Amino acid sequence: MEPIPNPPRWADRLLEYFVSDHLLEDVQGDLYEIYQRRAKMVGIAKARREYGWNAVRYINPFFRSYKSNHDTQPLFSTSMIQNYIKIALRSLWKSKGYATINILGLSVAFCICTFLFLTAYNQLTFDSFHADKDRIYQAYLFFNNPDKPERRGQLPLPFVPAIKAEYPEVEAATRFVNERSLIEYKDKSLDKVIRLVDADFLKIFSFPLIKGNRQTAFQELGNIVLNETTANALFGTEDPIGKQIQLKDNGETKSYIVTGVLADAPTNSTVRYDVLVRIENIPGYHSRQNQWDDFSHTVYVKLAENTDPEVLQKKLKSFSQKYFAPTVETLKKKGARPDQRGDIAAVRFQNLSKLHFDSELSGGPPVTVVYVLLGIALFILLIACFNFINLSIARSFTRAREVGVRKYLGALKSQLFMQIWGETTVVCFLGLMAGVVLVVLLVPEFNAAFDGKISLKYVLQPGVIVGIMVMFLFVTLLAGGYPAWQMSLFNAIEVLKGKITLKRPGFLRNSLIVTQFAMSCLLTCCTILAVQQTDYLRSVPLGFEKEQIISIPVGNKYEGRQVLQRMRNKFANDPSVIAISGSNVNLGRGKDNSTSRAMVGFDYKGKNITTDWLLVDYDYLKTLNIKLLNGREFERGYAADSADKVVITESMAQALGEKQAVNSYFQVDSGGTKYQVIGLIADYHLYSLAQKKSPITMHISSTEGISYIFVRVAPQSVKTAMDKMRDTWKEVAPGAEFIGSFVDENVDSWYKSEEKMSQLFSIASLVAILLSCLGLFAVALLVVEQRTKEIGIRKVLGASIANLILILSKDFLKLILIALAIATPLAWFGMQQWLNSYPYKIQINAWVFVGVGVAAVSITLLTVSFQAIKAALMNPVKSLRSE
Amino acid sequence: MRRAFLGEFEELILLIVAACTEDAYGVTIWEQVQEQTGRSITISAVHATLYRLEEKGFLSSQMGGATAERGGRRKRFFSLTVAGSRALIELEQMRQKLWKAIPEGKLQILGQ
Repeated sequence: MEPIPNPPRWADRLLEYFVSDHLLEDVQGDLYEIYQRRAKMVGIAKARREYGWNAVRYINPFFRSYKSNHDTQPLFSTSMIQNYIKIALRSLWKSKGYATINILGLSVAFCICTFLFLTAYNQLTFDSFHADKDRIYQAYLFFNNPDKPERRGQLPLPFVPAIKAEYPEVEAATRFVNERSLIEYKDKSLDKVIRLVDADFLKIFSFPLIKGNRQTAFQELGNIVLNETTANALFGTEDPIGKQIQLKDNGETKSYIVTGVLADAPTNSTVRYDVLVRIENIPGYHSRQNQWDDFSHTVYVKLAENTDPEVLQKKLKSFSQKYFAPTVETLKKKGARPDQRGDIAAVRFQNLSKLHFDSELSGGPPVTVVYVLLGIALFILLIACFNFINLSIARSFTRAREVGVRKYLGALKSQLFMQIWGETTVVCFLGLMAGVVLVVLLVPEFNAAFDGKISLKYVLQPGVIVGIMVMFLFVTLLAGGYPAWQMSLFNAIEVLKGKITLKRPGFLRNSLIVTQFAMSCLLTCCTILAVQQTDYLRSVPLGFEKEQIISIPVGNKYEGRQVLQRMRNKFANDPSVIAISGSNVNLGRGKDNSTSRAMVGFDYKGKNITTDWLLVDYDYLKTLNIKLLNGREFERGYAADSADKVVITESMAQALGEKQAVNSYFQVDSGGTKYQVIGLIADYHLYSLAQKKSPITMHISSTEGISYIFVRVAPQSVKTAMDKMRDTWKEVAPGAEFIGSFVDENVDSWYKSEEKMSQLFSIASLVAILLSCLGLFAVALLVVEQRTKEIGIRKVLGASIANLILILSKDFLKLILIALAIATPLAWFGMQQWLNSYPYKIQINAWVFVGVGVAAVSITLLTVSFQAIKAALMNPVKSLRSE
Repeated sequence: MRRAFLGEFEELILLIVAACTEDAYGVTIWEQVQEQTGRSITISAVHATLYRLEEKGFLSSQMGGATAERGGRRKRFFSLTVAGSRALIELEQMRQKLWKAIPEGKLQILGQ
């Protein structure tokens, strides 16, 4: 009898696909049996047809999704889980090194990510806590200057009353002015910034009022609202409500009654305050309240519900025409044309949610900084994940036998996956915990180093917790999922035969290494360039001698001129003090952390000139060691010097267009004082190099107050000078706080943000490099282990050690070169963008990239050759004997 | 215990498994069903019912008895569980009760 052929293959395939693994054997067996019988009874052809027909009947979800709960183990039984835990602990213990590397790397990555994430969160949630945030806007003026459109956040005092009276859409509006002042209560006094606001302030913003009545807190002109910190500092445990306190400003003292205590503004608030009083208390309110050209303060408005700011802006056209006519005239004379919306000068609104990242209006960072932060965080997290993947895959081969045995004993793919993934999750969790501990420990350090405002309070917010959970899940899925999936695919038979090796150096593994190193190189290049730029900014000559000058902010307790005079008397015959002078603009950023700038713009012979308008005192040039090019300095002998004489810088002379600038005259406003130029000095940087140097005009008008005193001390007495000043300060300004500092330190702190940026980059790149090397080390170890036999054979055939090292390192070097090729253009492009924001900047030098390249290659060689040398030195007999 | 509902075909299969003198597996049960009922029934329907009965706990199974005829594949032998026999007995008792409840003579009128 002829043998019966097998039933149709397609039908078997169909069964294999549509019948669950538990049932396949007996279903197929039964069908086979029937087929055999039928073949004998009705012939092969018919039996084959019947077989196919029968198989088709199994296309039914019942058979496919059938899960037996009788004859196989459930996916997880207690005994299996016990076994998993035991094996997990054993394998962790066996590979302590790997586990430590993994946990360490992950915890550092988690820690850094958490910091960066929190910083970004803080930035991105700026001002989002106000109840009516959608309706709150900052009003600003738009001037379509012919050279560059300008958006000005400073508005004149009559603006708010006028807009509130004329436009019902404006539900509430407040002016917001800063004044430094001294607060006194009984014997306590504090130097604070006073914010002058309208009564609407509490209607616009939803800062919680802890004590007092929201409706009446600003009812009287003599009411004052303190924030919690100030209230505590001033009153301690006393109830502040109804108490009388004094504000001292420029020698004037006013009494106020405390009517409210407002919670401290959160760190992510644009509007900050210590002490709030009504705007009408601003000096000279009555003379200024109708001046439309006195652009002096910020304005916040709350629009009525369902008001479209665009529509209101259109309606406000007539408003701008009415009140800003002179400004429009001036702009027109300069050649200003209406912009697309037909405005030369207009009132516009910026929503509170966009305000923080609108650097022009709020001075906040550009939003790109936040994305850079998040990008770095992601970089580091990815590097740590890639490491984890590479390390886990490397380690998985040592556990191949376990996987094989488990498979042989009937473990399902899903069980193996869950087991290995679970182990990874445990390691990740340990890493996360260690990371959290690091975060808790390092929060103060971080805040100090980066001027951060992170508090652990943030961590407990739902948004952050969800963020961290997502981060954690992402890491476990990425870092644990892939290796687990790879391992569950091992072929049990081959593993048990001991045949398992990596087929090819995986494309994935290589791309991970390339990505890691590209990221590290990118960060390193950025670090070097940022450091170079900061150093460059520091090293550019400022035009004055910044060494050996002490700058002392006067504060509000005393009048600056009097203190200055007392200092002069005190040090008149002291050889250790070379010169003393004063100004209203500090040099560099002092300990009072405030900057001010006065500028004037005027027309001179048909040209529009803008200049810094700097108040100085006698001996200013001597104190700063600025060279006089022509003419003379202010001198005490000339009484008229304080009335209408000015000293100008070279660029100012250029702007005036006078060849012989000394003794020329100019007027700042028509009909006003005619200023005579008496001296010409070289240009110098009054402000940070992040800003362009502008012309400076100095005057010594006695109507303005001096806020900073500069003392040049003799070089040999620099060390003792600060203590001496502190002692003297107690005599010349008793009771006032001494916050003097050296000008060179002040100048350094101009570059704090650049400094912070380069610090951030250096930490990030250091971590990135370390983590990448860790990963590379592990992969090198794996490769060397796999190639032991090959190395043995090569050695037997006469390869030299150098030769072997080259062979082993070659593959990695290729990867690093690819990484460099990716990172270099990216770094160049990105940093060029950053540098373009500086008027004074370095040229990007190709050697930076070459240097980073050489460093990367040598680090790679070091990491890899450690393993390679070990392998090359091994006795080939040992490696070849086994088997 | 959850009282699972037994369909007509399920009951039939369960009875056939119970009635089998030798070890019952897919093919034998399939043949028996056709023989006993004279109906033409597909093997997939038999399999589906067997597995469902096992799921419900009326049958249990174990693997064994590979033959060359089956391409070396094992058979799944089904046997009645305690729950299965109880379900059959209960059904039978309910039937008996109902049979006894039929008034005398009624069946003759209806049946003939």
